[in-house]
Amino acid sequence: MKTLTNNLRLFWQGAILSYVALFHWMRPIQYAASKILMPLAQMFFFVYLGTFATGKDNATFYIIGNALQIAAVSGIYGMSMSIGGDRDNGTLGYIFGTPANRLVVFMGRAFMNIMDGALGVVIAFIWGVILMGLDLSHTSIPALALIILITTISTCGLGLLLGCLALITANVMFVNNFVYFLLLIFSGANLPLEELPVWVQAVSYILPLTRGITAARELVGGASLTEISPLLWGELTVGLVYFVLGYFLFKAFEIVAKRRGTLEVF
Amino acid sequence: MNIRTLIKYWRTILLVAEMNIRQQMTDGFILFTVLFQPIIIALLGLWMLKDKGPDAAMFVVVGSGLTGLWSSLLFISGGSLNFERWSGTLESLVAVPTPFEVIVFGKNLGNVVQSLISMVLGYFVAAFAFGYSLEIQQPLLFVASVFLSVIAFISFGLIIAPIFVMNPGVRAWQNAMEFPVYVLCGFLFPIALLPGWTSPISYLLPPYWAAVALHGTSTTNASLNQTLFAWGMLLLFSLLDLIIASRLFKVMLYKARADATLGME
Repeated sequence: MKTLTNNLRLFWQGAILSYVALFHWMRPIQYAASKILMPLAQMFFFVYLGTFATGKDNATFYIIGNALQIAAVSGIYGMSMSIGGDRDNGTLGYIFGTPANRLVVFMGRAFMNIMDGALGVVIAFIWGVILMGLDLSHTSIPALALIILITTISTCGLGLLLGCLALITANVMFVNNFVYFLLLIFSGANLPLEELPVWVQAVSYILPLTRGITAARELVGGASLTEISPLLWGELTVGLVYFVLGYFLFKAFEIVAKRRGTLEVF
Repeated sequence: MNIRTLIKYWRTILLVAEMNIRQQMTDGFILFTVLFQPIIIALLGLWMLKDKGPDAAMFVVVGSGLTGLWSSLLFISGGSLNFERWSGTLESLVAVPTPFEVIVFGKNLGNVVQSLISMVLGYFVAAFAFGYSLEIQQPLLFVASVFLSVIAFISFGLIIAPIFVMNPGVRAWQNAMEFPVYVLCGFLFPIALLPGWTSPISYLLPPYWAAVALHGTSTTNASLNQTLFAWGMLLLFSLLDLIIASRLFKVMLYKARADATLGME
């Protein structure tokens, strides 16, 4: 019982502190800019580009795709900086030196980014409704919320894996940016997947976001939660696979770093 | 200022630009901003606009190059003084006899010129990945437009850098400033699609006039008068930016010396 209590405390403290540490350098207004203005501007750009290319009737396609893509901001950047930041700030050694349960530490890092990412997507959908005419009047909002949550979790799974890569490379922002922008193509946020080459489609389905975006489009198009549930299970599975891969990479890195004495060597 | 001094400054500008490019080619973040991000945007744009024909493809090639120019200006030129600050070289640069603005001009020149590579790469992506045979319709006017755009971007960068140095809070808005300019300046779609009230904002942004000149001369969409007007606006904004930047640099250096905070954020 005591171990469970300790782990819960570790999880919660880790979640709060890693999140505060990540945004401590921002004032509330700057945080708001990164949560509200940046996603809005990115959405506007791709929605206008999409409607310029294919007509105003297809605006919903781009609004939904790019609203869910916002999950990758917290999922990719937030997660990888939460993990990689320990190395940059010289605190990685302390984490490896504690007897704390690594899985709990790991999940604590993810929790607030999942919440933050989901909030970002909700804000993006609100922008979509208010400013871009997205019609959600016939959409089940709880079902949409579930899609947002699952998609954010799966995206954070990928972010966790990238965060572990941040522990072994100095060019973490290159990797993060590259993955983030590739997701704009491969997730189907801006292109119908069926129009893409087969190999692109194959890659798309091993990435997070893809099924979540498809599920959200189908839900807004009139499908029921039961009809899109296979997509949601798939999205969740993809995310969990990335979480597991990230966790084992973290463990492997710890062992190698301790053996070689390269804990904070870039 | 005599000719000898001007030549000396020009040599400094070229040398700083060269060193800047060499140094930045080893930085993953910069490589991404200058090369990979515009190419990904070009791929996306070319695919999305593939049914609109070669003119749209040329529009995407030029537009994606402009996104590279703006992102480079915002993130790299905007942060270049802070980079010197973190490296401990800012004090030395300020102390050398060459005016600090001349050095920063050289840094911005390096940034903008290396960003032009993205336009060339976008062209090759369009040609090889999508099979377009693209031709710049008004080559001489296009080259002149590139030259004037480079000057306008450098001058605009001279304003951004001291503002970011003097106001670290503004720098935190960098991420939020990238896409609005893509949208407002019509890099990849005409601003006619946007609500009418946004047009005056677009007209106040030098990258918008660069987009008008480059899009217009790479295709046959712009008349000579329209191109000349865009050039005039680029020159006007360059001049205004240089005047404002000169004042900003004086304020920044005075403030840094008076407060003894040159190396501190």
